[in-house]
Amino acid sequence: MTTAHTIAEKISGALPLRRLLRDYGQIVILALGTIIFAALEPAFVSTENLIGILYQISLIGIMAVCSTFVVISGGIDLSVGPVVALAGLMAAFTLEATGLALAPALLAGIAIGAGVGLLNGLAVARFQLPPIVVTLAMMSIARGAALLVGGSVLHLIREPAAFLFIGSGRVVGLPIPIFIFVATAAIMWFIQTRTSFGLSVFAIGENAAAARLCGLALTRVRTLVYLISGAGAGIAGVILAAQVRTASANYGNGIELDVIAAIVLGGTSLKGGSGAIYRSVIGALLIGGMNNGLSILNVSTDLQLVAKGVIIVVAIALDNFLYRWSES
Amino acid sequence: MINKLRSANLGLLWFYLVIIVVFSLLSPPFRTLGNLQNLLSGFSHIGIMAVGMAFPLLLGGIDLSVGAIMGLVGMVMLDIIMLLGVPGWAAVPIGLAVGALAGLINAVLIVRLGLQPFIATLATMVAYRGITYTISGRQLVPELSVLAITDAFYTSIDGALGPLPLAFLYLVVVAALTYLLLRYTRFGMDVYAVGGNETAARLAGINVDRVKVAAYTISGVCTAVSTLILTSRLTTSTEDLGFTFEMSAIAAAIIGGVSLRGGVGSTIGPALGAFLIGTIYVGLTLVGVTTYAQPVVVGVVLIGAIGYDRLMEARRARALLERRVLEAHTAVGQ
Amino acid sequence: MSDTMLLSAYGLSKHYGAHHALDGADLDLRAGEVHALVGSNGAGKSTLVKILTGAVGPDAGTLTLAGMPVPFGDPKAALDAGIACIYQEANLVPALSVLDNIVLGRHPTRRFGLLDRSAQRQAVRELLARHDLRLDLDAPVQTLPTVQQKEVEIAKALSLNARVILMDEPTAWLAHAEVEKLFHSIRQLRAQGVAVLYISHILDEIFAIADRVTVIRDGKVRLMAPIAATSKAALVEAMLGRELAVEVGTAHRQMPQSAAGAVALECHGLSKAGLFQDMALQVHQGEIVCITGLVGAKRSEFVRALFGAEPADQGEILIHGRRVSLREPAAAIRHGIGFVPEDRRRDGLFMGLPIGANLVLAYLPLVTRAGLLVRRLTRALGRRQVEDLGIVPARLDLPARALSGGNQQKVLLGRWLAGGARILILDEPTVGVDVGAKADIYQLLRRLASAGAAILIVSSDMEEVLAIADRVIVMAQGRVSRTFTGHEVTQGAILSAASGEVAQ
Repeated sequence: MTTAHTIAEKISGALPLRRLLRDYGQIVILALGTIIFAALEPAFVSTENLIGILYQISLIGIMAVCSTFVVISGGIDLSVGPVVALAGLMAAFTLEATGLALAPALLAGIAIGAGVGLLNGLAVARFQLPPIVVTLAMMSIARGAALLVGGSVLHLIREPAAFLFIGSGRVVGLPIPIFIFVATAAIMWFIQTRTSFGLSVFAIGENAAAARLCGLALTRVRTLVYLISGAGAGIAGVILAAQVRTASANYGNGIELDVIAAIVLGGTSLKGGSGAIYRSVIGALLIGGMNNGLSILNVSTDLQLVAKGVIIVVAIALDNFLYRWSES
Repeated sequence: MINKLRSANLGLLWFYLVIIVVFSLLSPPFRTLGNLQNLLSGFSHIGIMAVGMAFPLLLGGIDLSVGAIMGLVGMVMLDIIMLLGVPGWAAVPIGLAVGALAGLINAVLIVRLGLQPFIATLATMVAYRGITYTISGRQLVPELSVLAITDAFYTSIDGALGPLPLAFLYLVVVAALTYLLLRYTRFGMDVYAVGGNETAARLAGINVDRVKVAAYTISGVCTAVSTLILTSRLTTSTEDLGFTFEMSAIAAAIIGGVSLRGGVGSTIGPALGAFLIGTIYVGLTLVGVTTYAQPVVVGVVLIGAIGYDRLMEARRARALLERRVLEAHTAVGQ
Repeated sequence: MSDTMLLSAYGLSKHYGAHHALDGADLDLRAGEVHALVGSNGAGKSTLVKILTGAVGPDAGTLTLAGMPVPFGDPKAALDAGIACIYQEANLVPALSVLDNIVLGRHPTRRFGLLDRSAQRQAVRELLARHDLRLDLDAPVQTLPTVQQKEVEIAKALSLNARVILMDEPTAWLAHAEVEKLFHSIRQLRAQGVAVLYISHILDEIFAIADRVTVIRDGKVRLMAPIAATSKAALVEAMLGRELAVEVGTAHRQMPQSAAGAVALECHGLSKAGLFQDMALQVHQGEIVCITGLVGAKRSEFVRALFGAEPADQGEILIHGRRVSLREPAAAIRHGIGFVPEDRRRDGLFMGLPIGANLVLAYLPLVTRAGLLVRRLTRALGRRQVEDLGIVPARLDLPARALSGGNQQKVLLGRWLAGGARILILDEPTVGVDVGAKADIYQLLRRLASAGAAILIVSSDMEEVLAIADRVIVMAQGRVSRTFTGHEVTQGAILSAASGEVAQ
């Protein structure tokens, strides 16, 4: 039976402004926020500061764009935190084992992330277990694995210089991590918009039953999205190890929440079927800009945490409100 | 509902007994009274947290902020007892109130602003942790890091009644009370109704909002109780008290048979689940397995539990389908 | 049916933007009557129901029950006044017992909010006895067969002292024998003085159970009469509007029956435990075969097995004479089969994705080179389907949910035509589709058949079956009951075969 809601939906094409706001509200907020902070403290928009923001969010940004497909497919990945630690440890150990060869170390770090992602994917896609529980359990398993592998000590990475350059080097004045972030985001963006895999992810997230009847390879796509998410955490873990010159099993604790916050703040729905990579980039920028702006205004880091929570609430509530408003 | 409840917990109990037998055989220290006391008290606080977590889960929601609430309540306790000199007997109700308030705020975000529970409690998790850091007495007065709470009333919270650890007693009381609440009161019925089919509950005139508010508040209060026990035991509190505890609480609840989708489960299961996790931890340590392996084991147990749950569900669905088909055929034959 | 006016709705109007969902509709229900409400999808039935139950408020009009005005837009007030509704989707809490569901939200309590179990049990038992409803009070409702779940909902409404019970497509999902049980319960209600508003599109049922009937079209009441004083033809005419009914009827009869070619799709001994047994059929190229039968004949299950969606346990399927293994939809698609499912919202369309995506998703390999989507190809493919099928609005970027039911169905069909599927299976293709689109779809199918496609349609619409089928297969209880060719088929013969009276 046609519900009143469906009728209303058919009519709502007549309200483009509301729809525009709903779809692009995040960009508006980003712009507004930038203006406000710039007004309060002009140094906010100095080149140096902006570069600093990008640098600070590189890790979360990389992880956010790599985990976005998981969310679009209707799942979630809570296990990325310990994967960061594992990747750093693997990189450090591979460097020692291979006599400081760069490529194997990088590959090892990313591979371990992809491996954890693969396990997540199999449990979710093949065995139909709920993503929240699976990735929650995997988070625990990965944390334990990191501790077993690395103990609770810090492993110093003093060389090779090439490796450390990844973390703290600059090219044309910009830190390397920013390049990696941009490159990763570009690759994910490409996958989302130009590949059939990308389209399949949306289809499966939007209506898995229909996707199956279209002959889409549900298991393979679902497994791959978790693999990509894990690989993203692996990349971040390697960069982190290069940045701080150490690897530790305790790194990455709690980072999954920042990643999810970035994805969600950008407007991608946790229900699946909608969203975009660029949105996660915006979400990461929002978080970074917010952290940075508050720091510049000398708000204590503790209060910043509070502010972060409040802003997440406000942003999502606003998004919900705008959605209902644009459909009425 | 009752049958399902019983069978899920029965399976869990069997598994638990098996674990106990295995560890008892593998490790003599496991069999001592001291260990038993250790087991009973060691994870009671997680158990209480898991019992509280059952309420949001039963509604089909979730509460990710319980770890942060623990930190918050703990820090408030530390501050008011050590810095403001509030006596223990007055601090306890304040602690419970803070927990209730934190849960209430969660509920308001979910009910009034329409946020999904996952997101709302994710945000409050961050915010409450931030507040904990902000009000931390240990930053204001560095000596607090080495001072201990000496208030007699407060330290007696984590005491013993003869050989029985009080923490365990609190867990039994909380689990029993909440069990009765869910099973024998109108409120409990409403919780299962909202969790089972929110639209039906709403149309039946149940005040869904009020039920949600109550559920998240209960979760906050249970967390506060748990915090009192833990801080009494530690005689202090730190800024990251409770960090990642929410995961243990959720794991315990799921292992205890509470369904993520809502409408299924009780508060006995989470308590059992917490004990299972705790027993495995202690057992492993006594057997000589490094503590680092503990998170791995818990993760595996969690996956096992959810896998088992899914298997049972698939079997039930199939049996139901076959029964329906049979009925349709016999009905037509009449 | 007494002469006492129970519910009186007068001049109800409701508009959404420029669209008038209801326009001055009147409805009256007498105590102890079964009053049928009929109309095509989008005619205004659901809006009317929403107003009566208080889900929405009208722009104009009045509503009284037993002389007392009923507040608009307040579901609780409507319930209190005595108006209850039994929806298509069960409004029950699956894990709770029958008893708990009946008294949901009104569990009697003692002090401290403790449930008073014995009090409610006795009262409900008496209620059930009074209405001759036999239910196990302690069974969780999810374990009950569908018809008993409906009875629980009836009991729930009665325990709320409902004087008016609205039933929305109550026999959806019911097997034949269960429909009889439901009718028995409805007659009980009538005897007790309750007014039942029976919303359905199945005319046979309406003539079996209703006392009076109201027909709505385009938001207005077109006909209201005692059942004895009207006919199916009159109802159809009122539902569709005279010219259209005639037009559709003639168009059907005029459609050329194409000559059949080689066997495209064939199956032998196809069986699935508890669902269907020993199914055998052949669909030739250029032929339209209709599978019909009553609800519960497991037609959908059978054709889904042919598509590999839920594969059969035994038997074989042959495509163009070659034996194939169809264990998943992807395999069927590779063999050139397309499937339009019964529930387009749940299994068919990606409502939030653009029409262009919806059209392309079954044949991604066709528009993909090295994993990359080739925009030029996807656009061309989409454009062609939109034009060929006359999809309106003709834009590839609109989300599928923005289309009407008929256009949505066309998109689903276009999805398969886009990839050149030559064997088409459609499950209830014109449910919820407006008359104009229906005619379009029939013509399209006929055109496709003439071009050599093999088409298998599951349909419960007798008129549709009689109009377009070259051959008719009647299923009953999971087996083939009888097969007719287009010439020898009559409605009566189909009905008797459907109820299993004549075995093959």
